[in-house]
Amino acid sequence: MIQLLNWFRRRALERGLNRELQYHFDRRVADLTAAGIPEPEARRRVAAELGLVRVREEVRDVWLTRWFRDFLYDLRFSARSFLRSPGFTAATLLSLALGIGATTAIYSLVDQVILHALPVREPGRLVLMNWSGSDFVTYATGSMNLMPYTICRDLQQQTRFLDGALCRAEIQVNLTAGGDPKPVAAEIVSGSYFSVLGVGPALGRVIEPADDAGYGTGPVVVLSYDFWQAQFGGAADIVGRKVLIGNHPMTVVGVAAAGFRGVDVGAVPAFWMPTSMAKYANVDEDDLLNTPVRWVQILARLRPGISVAQAQTGLQPWFKAWLQDSTLHHFPRISADHRREYLATTLELTSAPQGHSVLRYHLAQPLWLLFAATGVLLALACLNVAGLFLARGSARGREIGTRLALGASRGRIGRQLLADSLLLAVAGGVLGVVVAPLAIRGLIAFLPRDLGSNALSGALSLRLLAFAFFASVTAGLLSGLAPAVHAGGDSVVGSLRERGGTGFGGVRLRKCIVTLQVAFSLILIIGAALFLRTFTGLLAKGPGFDTSSLLSFAIAPLQNGYSEADASRLVRRLDEQVRALPVASSSAAARYAFLNGYAWSNSVTMQTDRRTVTDGTIYFNAVSPGFFSTLGIRILAGRDFNRSDIRPPGEIGPRVAIVNQAFVKRYLAGRDPLGVLIARGGASNVKPDSVIVGVVADMSYRGLRDHYEQVFFPLFEHDDTGATFYIKVRGAPEQAIPSIRRLVQQDDPRLPILWFRTLDDQVNRSLATERLLAALSSSFGALALLLSLIGLYGVMSFVVTRRTREIGIRLALGATGASAIRLVLRDAVAMIAVGMAIALPCVAALGKLVQSQLFGVTATDPATIAAAALVLGAGALVAAFIPAWRASNVTPTEALRLE
Amino acid sequence: MPSPRFPIPQGTLDMLILQILSLEPAHGYGIAQRLEQISQSVVQVNQGSLYPALHRLQQRGWLRAEWKQSETGREAKFYSLTAAGRRQLAIEKDSWARLSGAVNLIFEEGSR
Repeated sequence: MIQLLNWFRRRALERGLNRELQYHFDRRVADLTAAGIPEPEARRRVAAELGLVRVREEVRDVWLTRWFRDFLYDLRFSARSFLRSPGFTAATLLSLALGIGATTAIYSLVDQVILHALPVREPGRLVLMNWSGSDFVTYATGSMNLMPYTICRDLQQQTRFLDGALCRAEIQVNLTAGGDPKPVAAEIVSGSYFSVLGVGPALGRVIEPADDAGYGTGPVVVLSYDFWQAQFGGAADIVGRKVLIGNHPMTVVGVAAAGFRGVDVGAVPAFWMPTSMAKYANVDEDDLLNTPVRWVQILARLRPGISVAQAQTGLQPWFKAWLQDSTLHHFPRISADHRREYLATTLELTSAPQGHSVLRYHLAQPLWLLFAATGVLLALACLNVAGLFLARGSARGREIGTRLALGASRGRIGRQLLADSLLLAVAGGVLGVVVAPLAIRGLIAFLPRDLGSNALSGALSLRLLAFAFFASVTAGLLSGLAPAVHAGGDSVVGSLRERGGTGFGGVRLRKCIVTLQVAFSLILIIGAALFLRTFTGLLAKGPGFDTSSLLSFAIAPLQNGYSEADASRLVRRLDEQVRALPVASSSAAARYAFLNGYAWSNSVTMQTDRRTVTDGTIYFNAVSPGFFSTLGIRILAGRDFNRSDIRPPGEIGPRVAIVNQAFVKRYLAGRDPLGVLIARGGASNVKPDSVIVGVVADMSYRGLRDHYEQVFFPLFEHDDTGATFYIKVRGAPEQAIPSIRRLVQQDDPRLPILWFRTLDDQVNRSLATERLLAALSSSFGALALLLSLIGLYGVMSFVVTRRTREIGIRLALGATGASAIRLVLRDAVAMIAVGMAIALPCVAALGKLVQSQLFGVTATDPATIAAAALVLGAGALVAAFIPAWRASNVTPTEALRLE
Repeated sequence: MPSPRFPIPQGTLDMLILQILSLEPAHGYGIAQRLEQISQSVVQVNQGSLYPALHRLQQRGWLRAEWKQSETGREAKFYSLTAAGRRQLAIEKDSWARLSGAVNLIFEEGSR
């Protein structure tokens, strides 16, 4: 550090040193002359004795290490020469800033969503438990890693491998804290949660094992630090306050440490409560704490020195015993096949320093894809800068030749050129970092708001700055390498003999660079085209119903302590009242919201001439009469539900169901679906008792991509857990909101409305990832195209300038302008063709990675690839044509006069 | 026959400078003369190499320097020992004593 300061006061240091040495010199000379030596002789002696030049150099080396001093001189020289050519500097800075800024922004999300370890004690020792095996046990749990609570409790005893285990589940509850009830996200956790993670309280205490000793033992909550700040203004007397969860009183016993936001990056909890109080959170339908119902995620902490593989192997005997035991106690009537499948399942451990996250599961692949795309973009920018450097290098050929002739080493010159590019890249990186926070916030805006705003931040972290610095230096080295190597290879005599302005300039190298650029940009353009087609295809396909002037809102009465029968009655009441509103032209209700990412699902047992169980998962919903007409879904056969179909459990009489077209196509093809008996579930004791009375057109359920088999049952059968209302509104949907809010408040002022959303908005939300991919990949594609066209234009202009004389002679000898154009274009076409030939196999290889993100188009779709190639080819030809046309207009006399 | 004046061993120059300055502040030329006197012209110090050493010691914080009037009335750069320099001198003296002691022991062992 002191050394760096010395650089800035080197003039003062030099002056001081000179005075000091002069004093020594004069005193010594004076002493020698006093001893009788004549002055000229004395001076000569002293000068030889001191070795002034060497002393000065050695002292300077003390001030500042030699290589560092040289490097600073190089940088100063670079900065001066950049200031002399502002156009060149701006162009390179901009390309690098774009590349580095984009890469940094995407990396920020990659870091936050995928890489960032939890802020807990030694996150590296955390593992996530998963139950892997046949679909019989893993069905419908997909990415969720759901496990029974009992496994977590038993894992606590496995102290040979584990330092404790915790379980948690995400819950949505209505929280009342001295005001209106608010729906909030929370985490319901085992008593071991905080101690296993090693997270302490900021105030009061955290949840402890005693809170979770048995049902009802811990009516306590621990607030998250952020929620405490936001909702309670960081009140110091928060500990001991009572809040309502649903309508159950709970005591706030503490606030968790600042910065700890649960184990799921996508779901930030407002508070934590113990699993012993599961009933209050409405997740306890059965005996959740004692049966193998799978409803929690389990994380465990490995003992120090135990590897994931060791723990996994070591835990299998215990798990086998657990499986045996649970088949005996919980599934006594399991079929032999299922029993075998069940016992063959295993416990799987994966390292989980980042915790568990559904958001990560969904976003990881798109984010890595975008990160790779920005990497390619940055590489393109580097190639562009390298090309520009080569061009500048050729203009500086004589200068470099002169320096070589004067004795500079090739290494020294190469280092000078590297200093050039490093300086530019770091400056570009600084610019990129300045714009990165804006870009990150823009990216987060693409994600659904409730998610992005509370879970992800646009702030720059130290990690991010380190990454940006690393990216800049790498970019600098990459873009400076080619010119530096090139400068080392030129012959001194050759470059000095050349006439000014017609240096060799590494044309071959520049052509290679442009060819690579064409290849890179074609890959990015094809990617952009694929994601655009996916997005527009999904938008055009739509959810299968008309979303215009459709408004939806949701309530969760069970979370406010309603029984299912009461909830059913409430939903029915509201349904009738909403329908009677003047703004509603029609209205209906469904138990589960559509396009929300979630679904109610199971297999289905059918009774035709024989009993069959569906081999796949069927999606269910319960809907009110008039649902299909409100959403504009056609009834293809049979009829809609009517009031007389509604039959609470236990009531005698026919039960009915409506299936969709996909269901008929897959399971009832070739027979009349009407009149077939079906029931939910595939177990042997399921009795098909619902008659299919109608067939409806297909509609999307979880998201726009799916087109699954669906079965609908009537709503209001006294088993309703909540409802989403769908209202066809006259006029603007937003105008209906106040009157609906009033209706709900009149019925129950304590019941919050979870959301109001137009269906257009809902469709948009469900396409967040696709929109992100489409928008970003097309901007990357456009940037890539621009960069490669600039590169091509640059190298072609240079070629034309070099060949002006030759073209002039050709024209003088009778060649036509068209043949001159052909001559130049031939070069460009070769580069474009080779670039494309490089890109296509890469696209084929990369296709497999992106296929799962696409819809309605394969990664190697010939039409898309052809279109992308056409766009690039056309653009490239235009970029090459301009210099070619200039070449054809050369007049022979001018060309010869250039000599 | 060995030369009556041998070049100063590597690394001992710093220690000698610290020792000289521990007696009283001095300028570069003064230190050079003192070295000549004290070592009774046995040790030969390259006058030029004195200055890099002084600057190095100053940069390490063992010496401080100020411009003061010298005995001839001209301004000269006087170096003096800092507290850190004093500690360093003690360390170097100690390690020198141990080193020379060890070397002596080996010689005595060899001559017995």
